[in-house]
Amino acid sequence: MSTLLRLAHQLLIALLGITVLVLMVPVSMQIGSRFFEWIPNYMWTEEMSRFFFIWMVMIGATVGVREGLHFDVDIWANPSPALARFLRWASRLLIMGFAGVVLYWGIEFTKFGWNQTSELADLPMWMIFIAWPVAGFFWIAFLIEKMLVDSERDDQHGMHL
Amino acid sequence: MSSAVLTPGTAALVLFGAFFLLLILRVPVAFALGLASLPVLLIEPRLSPMVLFNEMFKSYNSFILLAVPFFLLTANLMNVGGITDRMLRLSRALVGHFPGGLAQINVLLSVFFAGISGSSTADAASQGKLFIEAQVKEGYDLSFSIAITAVSAVLAVIIPPSILMVVWGGVISTSIGAMYLAGIVPGLLIGLAQMATVHAYAKKRNYPVYPRAKFSEFLQAAAVAIPALVTPVIIVGGILMGWFTATESAAAAVLYAAVLSLVVYREINATQFWEAVVDTGKLAAVALFCVGTASVFGWLMAYYQIPKALLSNVQDLGLGVVGVGLLIALAFLVVGCFLDAIPAIIIVGTTLQPLAESVGMHPVHFAIVGIVSLAFGLITPPYGMCLMISCAVAKVPLRFALKDTLIMLIPMLVVLCLVIIFPDICLFLPRMFAPDMVK
Repeated sequence: MSTLLRLAHQLLIALLGITVLVLMVPVSMQIGSRFFEWIPNYMWTEEMSRFFFIWMVMIGATVGVREGLHFDVDIWANPSPALARFLRWASRLLIMGFAGVVLYWGIEFTKFGWNQTSELADLPMWMIFIAWPVAGFFWIAFLIEKMLVDSERDDQHGMHL
Repeated sequence: MSSAVLTPGTAALVLFGAFFLLLILRVPVAFALGLASLPVLLIEPRLSPMVLFNEMFKSYNSFILLAVPFFLLTANLMNVGGITDRMLRLSRALVGHFPGGLAQINVLLSVFFAGISGSSTADAASQGKLFIEAQVKEGYDLSFSIAITAVSAVLAVIIPPSILMVVWGGVISTSIGAMYLAGIVPGLLIGLAQMATVHAYAKKRNYPVYPRAKFSEFLQAAAVAIPALVTPVIIVGGILMGWFTATESAAAAVLYAAVLSLVVYREINATQFWEAVVDTGKLAAVALFCVGTASVFGWLMAYYQIPKALLSNVQDLGLGVVGVGLLIALAFLVVGCFLDAIPAIIIVGTTLQPLAESVGMHPVHFAIVGIVSLAFGLITPPYGMCLMISCAVAKVPLRFALKDTLIMLIPMLVVLCLVIIFPDICLFLPRMFAPDMVK
């Protein structure tokens, strides 16, 4: 299971890097088309870059959940081990709740976009909207992984919530 | 809206109450903003969690925000591609012989860095690794070293190009070219204030000095650094000349930094390049994800007309431009303590804009006051990204460097007050070079 999640994580990182690079293409083309006649000025390039951008944000936010990159506010001076454990569990469960919302209503959102297409490139909108439920799913998976690791460690130290 | 179930007061209480409760429970800010919006979305019969998706989608579906990953990528390429090293050498030749030489270099490098990169967090991360340990080795106090790295990093969003100005221009429709020009003088003044602070510290604590660089050394360092140093001229000039739009200018900066590191300086290999790209994706996505949830939160505030209720009392005070300017700065400084700058622009900038307009504050002046205040928010606790990053690099808690940071903030606040009282400090450059953009 953890191997699977590690692989998923690697895959997401690769996709993240690719989306960043792909973003550069249409914007560079836009600039270039103004100076060189042989570079075509397509309208859909702008839309494409926006859609890759959305995927970049959602994939990156997902990688961020596993790597703990989302910043929180440092309010507690020196929390006791018990308080620190409580805060860790509370915040993870709450994020999990949000992930559940994003997964459940994200599926509705994707269904809502099922028959829509984009204005310029005529892309099916569900291909973009599905980024939300996909992200929600991986948030839940990564959070469960973290909780399992934590509770194993707590057991080893003879601590229980 | 009159048909809403919740009154503005109750809605504000639920939104902010939930938000702060979640922050106390150490839920990351991005998730706290989203979670805090949920109760209202579920209570209000006319709303549903679909609003969450619509508003997040709308905020990400914006060409302007593309500038965020581009500016981060530029900064990352500068660091791995040898651009930062060359500017470091030039900084040393210029200010190394001042009292507190290495700390002066730290500030000056931030000024140079700011001219290419538009991201303060990237500056704090790269210079944290570059300077904090080196300064401590030379006998500087750790808390001083962390603080000066963090406070000088804020220059990156004040001196053009700037992520915050691009976002501001997109959200509050102000000319980005004019803001870029307007940010130059305030940014340089803040840099000078920081160098003066370092001078005072160095004298008092006997911080070390480097031998003065020979003139030939300076010329050599300058010659090597020139291709990097002209970047801001290309970016700002390119926008003014109509070569590219503001978002495209960020992509142009990436291309220029890539050419410099891959072709001119040739210090980057494929692995480093890929790492710079992935790192960019992570940093940009985490920051932008928060923009999405902040947009939902901001949309709900607007739905219940909370800003209007908050500002109705203020407008009765009959303040002038200076009074309103100070109030705006204060509001951004307070909000900056709890929010990252981009979500703060979305939630608070749009709220304050009618107030600024009502007293005839120039939109560019309003933007610079707001952006400088928000930049200071990057070093104020408990949520100051630059200070958090610098402290993370040094592996100490945020509290450790707090005192020195706040001391260094005082001269910077003086500059902010000057900018508020004398709008020409920021407005004269755009009036001179781009009169059309400032009307």
